[in-house]
Amino acid sequence: MAAPDRERGAAHALESVGRGAGRFADAFGFGAHLFFEAVYWLLFGRRKGQRVRAEPVFAQMMGIGVNAIPIVSMLSVAIGVTLSMQGIDSLEQFGAQHQVIFMVALSVTREFGPLITGILVAGRSGSALAARISTMVISQEVDALKVMGINPVRYIVVPSLLGMMIVLPSLTLWSIGISLIGSSLYVAPQIGTTVSAFFAQVNLSIDVDDLAHGLTKSLIFAVLITIVSVVDGISVKGGAEGVGRVTTSAVVHGITAIVLTDMIFVFATTA
Amino acid sequence: MTQAQTAPPVIEVADLVTHYGERRILNGVSLTIRQGEIMVIMGGSGSGKSTLLRHLMALERATSGSIKLLGNELSELGQTDLYALCRKIGVAFQGGALFSSLTVGENIILPLREHTDLDRTTMNIMARLKLEVVDLAGFENLMPSELSGGMIKRAALARAIIMDPALLFCDEPSAGLDPVVSSALDELILRLRDAMQMTIVVVTHELDSAFKIADRITVLDRGEILTIGTVDEVRNSSNERIQNLLNRRFEEEEVDPDEYLARLMGQT
Repeated sequence: MAAPDRERGAAHALESVGRGAGRFADAFGFGAHLFFEAVYWLLFGRRKGQRVRAEPVFAQMMGIGVNAIPIVSMLSVAIGVTLSMQGIDSLEQFGAQHQVIFMVALSVTREFGPLITGILVAGRSGSALAARISTMVISQEVDALKVMGINPVRYIVVPSLLGMMIVLPSLTLWSIGISLIGSSLYVAPQIGTTVSAFFAQVNLSIDVDDLAHGLTKSLIFAVLITIVSVVDGISVKGGAEGVGRVTTSAVVHGITAIVLTDMIFVFATTA
Repeated sequence: MTQAQTAPPVIEVADLVTHYGERRILNGVSLTIRQGEIMVIMGGSGSGKSTLLRHLMALERATSGSIKLLGNELSELGQTDLYALCRKIGVAFQGGALFSSLTVGENIILPLREHTDLDRTTMNIMARLKLEVVDLAGFENLMPSELSGGMIKRAALARAIIMDPALLFCDEPSAGLDPVVSSALDELILRLRDAMQMTIVVVTHELDSAFKIADRITVLDRGEILTIGTVDEVRNSSNERIQNLLNRRFEEEEVDPDEYLARLMGQT
């Protein structure tokens, strides 16, 4: 390649990176604004004649949480059993297979429970939220809300955010419990102990801090999933094709945000 | 002087200018709409009529100029005051903009549910009354997806008038409808004005509909007002651009061949 071509290529790459960074900064700023506006309406909505109703919050909780219980349970059992199999296989080499309970309890409570539940909810409910909002934008439902004197953030975002913030930690707690049950059913016969002894060991292995670590992360993931989905949903352009595009990007952005935040959170709390 | 000319102004637009990026969409638009009047805003595609409507509905902020709605200068209103003003306004969107997750009845009572403390029974009675006004009685339990295009527009109209607004905006009420349904909607708009003394602003490019319902017509072209007048004044206008619009003629743009080629090549 000739030198001018290489220079042009480098300049083009640099420009793309710059544009990408600009778009990210825009989306991040908009997301932060959206979050604080949602908190504002949650706190002061009633005083401003824009009260947040319980009914849509419960509807969101039902959609995000209750309907997700079967799939969360299935994945949690699989994670618990897989971790146990890997753990026993690895620890056996050092004659420490009994430590598998400690390893599984800690990794499920602090890491896998919140992460797997977060990823699942981002794929399931984050995409649904982005699709719903983008459809509302395209069909002028958001404009209709504004001209009816109804704040769209209060009407659409707050119930979703509140529902997600209540349900995701609850689902995470459920996921941790189910993972440990799954693990116990595999580990107990493998290492010659009982299920009750397994849970007694779990009780000794984890403390409130570990649980708080996992649940705090799931609370942050709840905010991320909602805000990322809303930001993507609002940015829709075009018709049905646009809805498909933002739905996919909401899942990708949501999962990326969860995994990166998880890493930063772990670094900040353990390093 | 007629009653319409002496009635107090409900909408006052002065020297409204707006841009989308570099493009100027509205160029010094000024008009006054008085109480109880049906003002039809007409124009071809890209004339700026939908943009003007979005500004009147406070969905867009202008680059410069002033819009007064029911005595309130829009650019000076805070969010809370704007929401309070919106309660006196009804809007029937072109596509209806009914919430697909709610039934027709729930759609219609939404503004009541959000802005009043009325009990559910009273709200349902009010919804049925408005549905009767728009000839949709008995449809309250259907989902919007179960309605035809004309029914969706009528349901949207019922939602727009549920709070008995002083001012009603209708965006292309008869677009995409067959002549019979379109004519019925026109009759409905006239009935609403007569029965409820509403000020109604209709954006349309349907000439028959415009001539049937309008007290006055504003003709927009390329972001500028060509004329504001009664149906007869517009019909008899000697302005060539207005006559082109009325006779569905499109002005042929004179283009320099070299400039046209350069435009196609993306060089301008």
